[in-house]
Amino acid sequence: MVQSVKRKQGWHLLQCLRKVFSWRASLSWVLEGLGGEANLKPENVEIHIIDDNFFLKWNSSSESVRNVTFSADYQILGTDNWKKLPGCQNTTSTNCNFSSVELKNVFEKIELRIRAEEGNNTSIWYEVEPFVPFLEAQIGPPDVHLEAEDKAIILSISPPGTEDSIMWATDRLNFRYSVVIWKNSSSLEERTETVFPEDKIYKLSPEITYCLKVKAELPLQSRVGYYSPVYCINTTERHNVPSPENIQINADNQVFVLKWDYPYENTTFRAQWLRAFFKKIPGKHSGKWKQILNCENVTTTRCVFPRNAFPSGIYYVRVQASNGNGTSFWSEEKKFYIEMKTVIFPPVISLKSITDDSLHVSVGASEESENTSVNQLYPLIYEVIFWENTSNAERKVLEKRTEFTFLDLKPLTVYCVKARALIENDRRNKSSSFSDTVCEKTKPGDTSKTWLKAGICTALFSIPVVIYVVRLFLRCVNYVFFPSSKPPSSVDEYFSDQPLKNLLLSTSEEQTERCFIIENASIITEIEETNEIDEVHKKYNSQTSQDSGNYSNEDENSGSKISEEFLQQDSV
Amino acid sequence: MTYRCLFRIALLLCFSATALSTSYSLLRFQQRRSINVCQKLLRQLPSTPQHCLEVRMHFQVPEEMKKAQKFRKEDAILVLYEMLQQIFGILTKDFSSTGWSETIIEDLLVELHGQMNHLEPIQKEIMQKENFTIGDSTVLHLKNYYFNLGQYLKSMEHNSCAWTIMKAEMLRNFSVLKRLTDYLLD
Repeated sequence: MVQSVKRKQGWHLLQCLRKVFSWRASLSWVLEGLGGEANLKPENVEIHIIDDNFFLKWNSSSESVRNVTFSADYQILGTDNWKKLPGCQNTTSTNCNFSSVELKNVFEKIELRIRAEEGNNTSIWYEVEPFVPFLEAQIGPPDVHLEAEDKAIILSISPPGTEDSIMWATDRLNFRYSVVIWKNSSSLEERTETVFPEDKIYKLSPEITYCLKVKAELPLQSRVGYYSPVYCINTTERHNVPSPENIQINADNQVFVLKWDYPYENTTFRAQWLRAFFKKIPGKHSGKWKQILNCENVTTTRCVFPRNAFPSGIYYVRVQASNGNGTSFWSEEKKFYIEMKTVIFPPVISLKSITDDSLHVSVGASEESENTSVNQLYPLIYEVIFWENTSNAERKVLEKRTEFTFLDLKPLTVYCVKARALIENDRRNKSSSFSDTVCEKTKPGDTSKTWLKAGICTALFSIPVVIYVVRLFLRCVNYVFFPSSKPPSSVDEYFSDQPLKNLLLSTSEEQTERCFIIENASIITEIEETNEIDEVHKKYNSQTSQDSGNYSNEDENSGSKISEEFLQQDSV
Repeated sequence: MTYRCLFRIALLLCFSATALSTSYSLLRFQQRRSINVCQKLLRQLPSTPQHCLEVRMHFQVPEEMKKAQKFRKEDAILVLYEMLQQIFGILTKDFSSTGWSETIIEDLLVELHGQMNHLEPIQKEIMQKENFTIGDSTVLHLKNYYFNLGQYLKSMEHNSCAWTIMKAEMLRNFSVLKRLTDYLLD
């Protein structure tokens, strides 16, 4: 008995000890599970912002989620003023919504921190990377309202967020909406269009169910939002009065011409216009469409209205038809840039030949353009096309000046010019039509130059000629006034013993002749023989007397005979 | 001969220089003209009770707007566009309490819209080229400033006093815009 009691007591003790040990084990396990403070810390903390809704999500590191709560604080970066994040205090779940935080400025960086708590134990703070709420925010789905016509669906889209949205307060008007539309019967035929808040999708078929979804975008920030839910709507049956189609607007001098197509006769039309900026503003602006005055109750498919009815800007135009059967839906809205329709008048050119190798061009504004505001709205440049009349080779020049010259041209050639005005650096390449072609001939071939050349050549050739002439003249002068002292050879021989002086000018002494009287012929011969050695002078004298006698003698024969004899004797 | 050669070279250089420098000149021309029109229109709005201006408001005007800060051409365009956009946004709010002419306000909106239209393709080009993000602090500061204007208007229930202050702020904005167009060169 005592043994059984002892055995029983031992067994109970053993059980007790086992329980104690197991409790301690579990306690230690719990304690290990808690791991002190480090194991309480939240992990993978993420911030999700959609429009004005702020969410915080995280993972808990501890597997045991009992009694673990999380709290978060926030502050503006740079300040040291942590505030409790509303909606994220002592929460047991691993996410919280802190949309009620009233951030004064969503454009500045804020800091968040979160920690876990269990009883008196708190983990260390997990600090989230500082962020700018506006940049972190995602664009939520827009609100869509649909209205169906026979071939179009009218969309009324509200921007993401509420009207009092803080996140999109500065961008409400900047949203563009991307619509994906398909026929309910076949989702393969999808079409994507970018629309304004108040817009229409055209080119649909009547009596078909169309489904669409819309997302908002901020294109200039490259941000895309979430799609809205899918909305489906049936287009109505074909309207008995069709809408006008293919609207066109053309500028024609001082008026605009609006044209459209319509298949039936006996119809009245009216056209309306809207300033394009209204399209950016959400909300109905049906009241903002205005009637184009000359286009009310017209029976033709065109109407004309003055240019000054529309000051510069961007507009939309729509046309509606009505006949006995009713009134059509409005046509497609046609966007209309006044500036693109601005007519730049062609310039007026005048051409003048200045020299033989250049032409001066003057570009002026035409009379019509003087009154328009084009020149004030835009800086103009001119595209000038220039060619030789006989050839096809055209030279194109862009000129900002209104007076300029073409150089290096051929003389006596006809050149032609035409020009048009362009808006300087316009991406749309808007230009006037070409001016009238003006032609002009260049001056004849460089007259001054050729004269100069001729002159030089003449001078070159004439110089030797002149020199020659001058020399001749000088020689003449010399010959006349300063004769040479050397007599000619024949004269020289004849007058060798007597210096030959100027016969004309100096009065020389008269040459006395020594004369001898001849007594008879025989004596003469003797005289001659004895006087052979004598100088000729003496002979001469005798002969001379004879000769002179002979010369003066009338009887030539006798005289001459005698003289001949003497001469012959002398010559021997 | 030499003179003629030199003249032609000079002409060519001048033309090249002009051609290279006119890539923004049309834009500048248009923007400045438009800003002038806007200032004239704003001044046409009747002067409202002066006492409204005695209230000192702190809208946290960005430093970039206050000082004569130097801008790169691309940054100038981004700031220009943002400001035009925001002024447009303010003018679409309810101004019925002021008795201002709807025509004048509409004309202002037309001008602003036109200017934005001109800037959009260039802005797109810049953002694609430079892989620009709006994380730029200047734009964020601007957004905050205009947000404050909007909130003030709302808090004052769009009364005429609040609009008087708006008008004063917008006139100041247009001066800044004009200064920004100076950077639309080369």
